[in-house]
Amino acid sequence: MTHAKLFPLIAAVPAIAFALSACAGSSDDQSADAADAANGEPVVVYSGRSEEVIEPLFEKFTEETGVPVEVRYGDTAEMAAQIIEEGDASPADVYYGQDAGALGALDGAGMCAPLADSIANLVPATYRSTDGTWTGVTGRARVIAYDSTQLPADQVPTSVFDLTDEQWRGQVAIAPTNGSFQAFVTGMRVAAGEDATREWLQGLVDNDVQLYEKNGLIRDAVDAGEVQLGLINHYYWYTKAAEVGENAMNVQLAFAEPGDPGALVNLSGACIVRPTDNADGARALMEWLLSESAQQWFVETTFEYPLVAGVEGPDGVPPLAQVKGPDIPLAELDDLPGTLLMLQDVGLT
Amino acid sequence: MTTSPAVPQLSLQNIFVGYGGPMVVRDVTMEVEQREFVTILGPSGSGKTTLLRAIAGYLRPATGIVTIAGTIASNERTWLPPERRQIGIVPQEGALFPHLDVAGNIAFGLRDKKKARARVTEMLEMVDLSGLEKARPHELSGGQQQRVALARALAPAPSLVLLDEPFSSLDASLRFDVRTQVRRLLADIGTTAVLVTHDQEEALSMADRVAVMSAGRIEQVGAPWTVYDDPTTLNVARFIGDLVELPVTEMQGASAHTAVGWVPIRDHSESESSSGRVVLRPEQLVLVAERGVGPDPQGVPGTVESIRYHGHDSLTSVRLNDGPLVDVRSAGGAGVAVGDVVRVVVTGTARMFADPVV
Amino acid sequence: MVNSMRPPLLLIAAAVVSVAVAAIPLLYLLVRTSSAGWNAVVEALFRDRTLETTITSVALVTLVIVGCLVIAVPTAWLLARTNIPGRAFFLVIAALPLAVPSYVMAYAWIAEFPSMSGIGAAALVMVLATYPYVAIPLTAALRSIDAGHEEAAQSLGLGPLAVARRVSLPLARPAAAAGVLLAALYTLSEFGTVAIFRVDAFTRVIYTAYRASFDRTTAAVLSLVLVCLALLLVVIEARIRGKSQRWRIGSGVSRPAPRQQLRTRGTVLGVAWLVGVAVLSLGVPAWSLTRLLLESQRSELDIGELVGAVVGSVSSSMLGAALALLLALPIAALAARYRSRIVRSIEGAAFLGHALPGVVVGLSLVFFTLAVLPAAYQTLAVLAFAYAVLFLPKAIGSSRSAIAHVPPGLESTARSLGRGPLRAWCTVTGRLAWPGIAAGTLLVFLTAMKELPATLMLRPTGFSTLATELWSRTEIEAFGSAAPYALTMIIIASVPAWLMGRWLARSPETAPSTDRVDDEMVRTDEVAYVGGVR
Repeated sequence: MTHAKLFPLIAAVPAIAFALSACAGSSDDQSADAADAANGEPVVVYSGRSEEVIEPLFEKFTEETGVPVEVRYGDTAEMAAQIIEEGDASPADVYYGQDAGALGALDGAGMCAPLADSIANLVPATYRSTDGTWTGVTGRARVIAYDSTQLPADQVPTSVFDLTDEQWRGQVAIAPTNGSFQAFVTGMRVAAGEDATREWLQGLVDNDVQLYEKNGLIRDAVDAGEVQLGLINHYYWYTKAAEVGENAMNVQLAFAEPGDPGALVNLSGACIVRPTDNADGARALMEWLLSESAQQWFVETTFEYPLVAGVEGPDGVPPLAQVKGPDIPLAELDDLPGTLLMLQDVGLT
Repeated sequence: MTTSPAVPQLSLQNIFVGYGGPMVVRDVTMEVEQREFVTILGPSGSGKTTLLRAIAGYLRPATGIVTIAGTIASNERTWLPPERRQIGIVPQEGALFPHLDVAGNIAFGLRDKKKARARVTEMLEMVDLSGLEKARPHELSGGQQQRVALARALAPAPSLVLLDEPFSSLDASLRFDVRTQVRRLLADIGTTAVLVTHDQEEALSMADRVAVMSAGRIEQVGAPWTVYDDPTTLNVARFIGDLVELPVTEMQGASAHTAVGWVPIRDHSESESSSGRVVLRPEQLVLVAERGVGPDPQGVPGTVESIRYHGHDSLTSVRLNDGPLVDVRSAGGAGVAVGDVVRVVVTGTARMFADPVV
Repeated sequence: MVNSMRPPLLLIAAAVVSVAVAAIPLLYLLVRTSSAGWNAVVEALFRDRTLETTITSVALVTLVIVGCLVIAVPTAWLLARTNIPGRAFFLVIAALPLAVPSYVMAYAWIAEFPSMSGIGAAALVMVLATYPYVAIPLTAALRSIDAGHEEAAQSLGLGPLAVARRVSLPLARPAAAAGVLLAALYTLSEFGTVAIFRVDAFTRVIYTAYRASFDRTTAAVLSLVLVCLALLLVVIEARIRGKSQRWRIGSGVSRPAPRQQLRTRGTVLGVAWLVGVAVLSLGVPAWSLTRLLLESQRSELDIGELVGAVVGSVSSSMLGAALALLLALPIAALAARYRSRIVRSIEGAAFLGHALPGVVVGLSLVFFTLAVLPAAYQTLAVLAFAYAVLFLPKAIGSSRSAIAHVPPGLESTARSLGRGPLRAWCTVTGRLAWPGIAAGTLLVFLTAMKELPATLMLRPTGFSTLATELWSRTEIEAFGSAAPYALTMIIIASVPAWLMGRWLARSPETAPSTDRVDDEMVRTDEVAYVGGVR
């Protein structure tokens, strides 16, 4: 192509750029159009749960209510930190994360708007904040996944504190950037104390613990025999079992002994972000998350525990009452920043 | 390496060199004695650089024998690569290594690292650049670079050094001084040298012997004055010095009649043809002012068309009444002005050549 | 061509404005860091983790430097100095990795060998992705060594091996050094590869600190350390380039050195080497990608998502390129014609952008927009601005070179014929320099398309680019579904690269020579720009 021909092509760049940028952020504008056609502005959600897991939920919301949703995906802590950094300028309307600690941090930074009693009271007190600023949406149990081809069930450790033993060198998998793991560590700090937790974390590092980005990856790694043990949330096993069938899976679940930090029952929860400009939409989403429709969706699709009374737990999963984690109100798991610092110090993040 | 006294430093026998097509060097045979300074003079395209590169070993001759200091460097069977010929080369553009300083350049070909430093100092003194050991090539002037290149070539004390138009990239004002220095240096050390150039002033002033090359062949080899005064071919005559060429109208014995009158011819045998042309040097012609002429005037009349004054001599172009334009060289001023009527007189003898085939 | 007259005040003012705008990210980073308080900064700086990260980054860069030399030197020698068959082909092969973003290569490797991780894996992929930065300029440098130097060395008694060792390679050293430093800078700034293989080098640690902590001071402090390291490399590179320019001496015409004639064994070994390098750098990723693409036909490809990502990539990159051009023109026009201390410092300041990794610019602009310009937060505008800042040096470089090639006499002639200064510039210099300027803009566009970390941090909610989509899929190891995005990115990225290559091959700056292969050689600067130092 000669210079002469390049000339008009390149001269068109700014024109094309502007034209394209008008269409870009495409889903924004498209959903904005849909919004205008449907029912008002979109609700902006900052989600600490991954797109592939949770997007269908938001789509269901828009289907059922006609309210459009725009979601920004990231890690639980990251999204909470983002909202705090953004402050009053935050475009977020609703925050949905996987860790009570993150919600506590948001609350502590004054970024949560108070929830109407009608919403808050839907959920038992243990699973929401004491001052009515955030609420749990689903419950999840921490479990130890193990490779049944390498380990018979009775040899699986019953306490997470055993995982620093020499025999598990290089055989334990965790996901330190994941909200649920961070919540579990916060729980350990509350239950067993700062020093014991730090020692344990350091012990894991010294024992060549394997790091993964996501719980799903840990589950798959255990299934493949890459590691023998992994710390994940219960429902990851069930979602895969629904797909490929129990018998096809080498990975099995074990619950830690009652009272052990490893048996923590944590929650996924949400709050309305205080500087929201779409209070109506935000409230509608919060209500819907605690509606039977949504809770049933969780039960059937993600095998998590519903927190709203009157909804049956997922099939095949030990009922919530049976799982005994350490005796801590989840609202106390609010020092996520402290946990993050500790993880950083130890070198896990 | 020292050579036994009688053996020539360089001997070329029937050298033909080509690049795969027609031969660029044709049937060159010559010898260079020890301590001699020979220049190979020729216009561009005459093959002189090719010949030099063949001697150096960068090219392999198609046929012929190159003998260096009594050892065969190249013939049908054997061929010594350049690094084994122990010849010093000063290339046209100097080719100093830019990544080394002056000392590094000069010491490059020296094996004995311990003695290198002393030798470098010695060489720098010889080329009059003492103290510049740490200088980088790009910091030096053109003349200094050439001198360092020479020092580098001479440092390993080769018995033969080849120079490829080494002064052509220098300013005209520098050339004379650098040339003189180089000539003196080589004479002092006693290194045999072959210098290739198209500059006849250079060739004539520096050489013990000059080899004139044209179209791949050596036309004449001889002392500078021989080549100048007594060219054996028309090419040589034309290439060296200014020339006055005049056609022969009539022969009488050993004299030829030309536009400037009768000219005695050197080495002319009766059986040779009676047509051709006579070549004279401008200094063989003398101007006589018309008014100073008596009843029996010598020479032929003409009009001064232009005068080129050079300070030490003048070249006056005179349009003869018969038509041709001749140049007359006189020492100092010409003593005439443009438009003057003068008479031109021939002195000395001349050579006669057959007319060239066009 | 360059005059030392005083440049017009208006031009200087425009250039200063450009530099100031481009300096916003770095300046704001300093502001934000210092506002956290001296104690916090010192504490973050002297943490063990910081030292570990520094060591890891330095180790990675060192490994990459060594690896690049090991691969590039023999390759360049074979291509430039021997008669090995297929030279033109292998030269193209050597340049091709530049069209593939390094994290796409990393993704292709890990998809094929999922157990790859750690500094060794990252170094391997980075070497394969960046060795062209060394190989191509080194090939050109070896090719342009004057035969006279080598002949002089021969005449002084050196055999072929010694000539190579003591003359040819040292003469080519500046080109190799500049290329090596570019590769090092690239590695230091690289985010995707490092994160995929879980190496705790600076970029990854900064990004994780940004995401996983409430106090982003750590991220800011680490960013500053990274910038200092990068600046060091940039300064060293500039000095080496300056030194090599003084090596042009002599006025004679240079002859390229003759090619070494390889015997059978040499030819076989040489071809085996070149093919081996090609297989590793291109064959493995191509194979991996193809396999993934074929397999992913089973999983659904959401065309809507793919198109959305393409539109996102193209629109943001185009805007970024246009903005970069706008900022670059005054600086380039100034630097091309005038040489004064002011001009040199303006130009120098603009080139600091070279030393800013994407993750740092992203972080800093997040801070900046939230604190100063909330309306711009998470908008396309700030993303385009990030691209413009990151790639400003490229735009300046090509524009300046294009403008400098237009003889200033033309402009003065236009003025003597009655045009005002601005009009003369536009209709004469601007018009003639346009192809070069346009090529530079195209280059910024090409590089912006591949950008990852800043895009992740700054993009509007719901906005995606090919890079971010590929990334999020790779993060969850959904390699199959990432394949179409990788392929699309390569296709789109190679069109401008191909155009650029053809334009460069035909530009008068390329040294003419008898060897057809030499027509495809490019100088170090152009190579760096073509490949993108990010």
